[in-house]
Amino acid sequence: MKISICSKKEGLDSLIDERFGRTENFTIIDMDTMIVETIENTAKNEASGAGGEAVKLISKYNVDIAVVPHLGPKAEKAMEAFEIKTVSQEDYKTVGEVLEAYKSGKLKEITKKKGLTRL
Amino acid sequence: MKIAVLSGKGGTGKTTVTSNFAVNIKHSIGIDSDVEEPNLHIFMDMKNSASEPVYTLYPSIDKELCNLCGKCGDFCNYHAILPAKNQVIIFRESCHDCGGCKLVCPNGAITYKKREIGKIFKGRSKYNTELHYGLLNIGEMSGVKIIDQLKKYSDLDGKTIFIDSPPGTSCATVAAVEDVDYAVIVSEPTPFGVSDMKMVVEMLREMKIPLGLIINKAGLGDEEIYHYCEDENIEILGEIPFDKKIAELYADGKIFSDSLPEYQDFFSDIYKKIAEGRRSL
Repeated sequence: MKISICSKKEGLDSLIDERFGRTENFTIIDMDTMIVETIENTAKNEASGAGGEAVKLISKYNVDIAVVPHLGPKAEKAMEAFEIKTVSQEDYKTVGEVLEAYKSGKLKEITKKKGLTRL
Repeated sequence: MKIAVLSGKGGTGKTTVTSNFAVNIKHSIGIDSDVEEPNLHIFMDMKNSASEPVYTLYPSIDKELCNLCGKCGDFCNYHAILPAKNQVIIFRESCHDCGGCKLVCPNGAITYKKREIGKIFKGRSKYNTELHYGLLNIGEMSGVKIIDQLKKYSDLDGKTIFIDSPPGTSCATVAAVEDVDYAVIVSEPTPFGVSDMKMVVEMLREMKIPLGLIINKAGLGDEEIYHYCEDENIEILGEIPFDKKIAELYADGKIFSDSLPEYQDFFSDIYKKIAEGRRSL
């Protein structure tokens, strides 16, 4: 199982990024092997639709769970279509802290908000 | 003859200039292409307007034919189409209706559906000037289609068209000034006015559209605009002073040359200057 975390720089010591579609990087951790890989978010400079493109990007790395800040309606819809579960990153500082919080079950799954139907 | 009135920055007086032209030049048509927030019809006091819808197209996927190859998503520059695991998501409002996804689809799975993005209103002002304006629906991303449709005239018939353009140098502004014969830039003589005007000048020169400047709120700000025009060889067509009377009339929703007749010649003289310049081209 793979999990992705929005990160400013590389590795587990990096600060997390407070944006999803325009985050600098995604740090992807394979929970079975504990291999950590950081990929650049190539969607971050798109004029529009960065959220959806970012979801497409992490889906190529077979991510099952994405730890995210607030998601836009397009990214939310894309996560659903790519069957990626989303959990809220809360107020943790580093990628490592987020990972630990996830392991101990402290991160909440994001349930679909009602009312964001205009796409 | 088609004349666009534009400015780099909002609030410099485009609508003031457009409405004063449209009222003082005989046989003119006023067009408000600032479809996000049209206001020319308010100043011109438009009566008996009739509206017609404007449509745009967006892709629709035939799930039987689609094999999720992803070519449509890779092609779309606006990310309006996103092939996912078992389905293709369409973000209708991001679609610019270019028709490209249908061309790149190897399976013929894409057709188009239409939806309304806004309306065009046509009518006459109380000054008996013909007036057209567009209104983009709330939440829509691009008014270019409405502007293109606004500018389709069946017959010019010797009339002069004054187009009130959207501010800035966006796609909408480009659509508004495309194929005009002349562009009147309205700018105030302040650092912000000049800075934003420079972008408009660059855009118009790139598009090879002849241009001139009306300085609004003259007396405000500094001398930079005059130096800039001299350096860039831009003709100053006229100056409207920074005058409390004009501001009051504007605030009342009135066309100022209507109440201050000394300005009627000001606008018709500028128009003559433009028309003669065109003849000598």
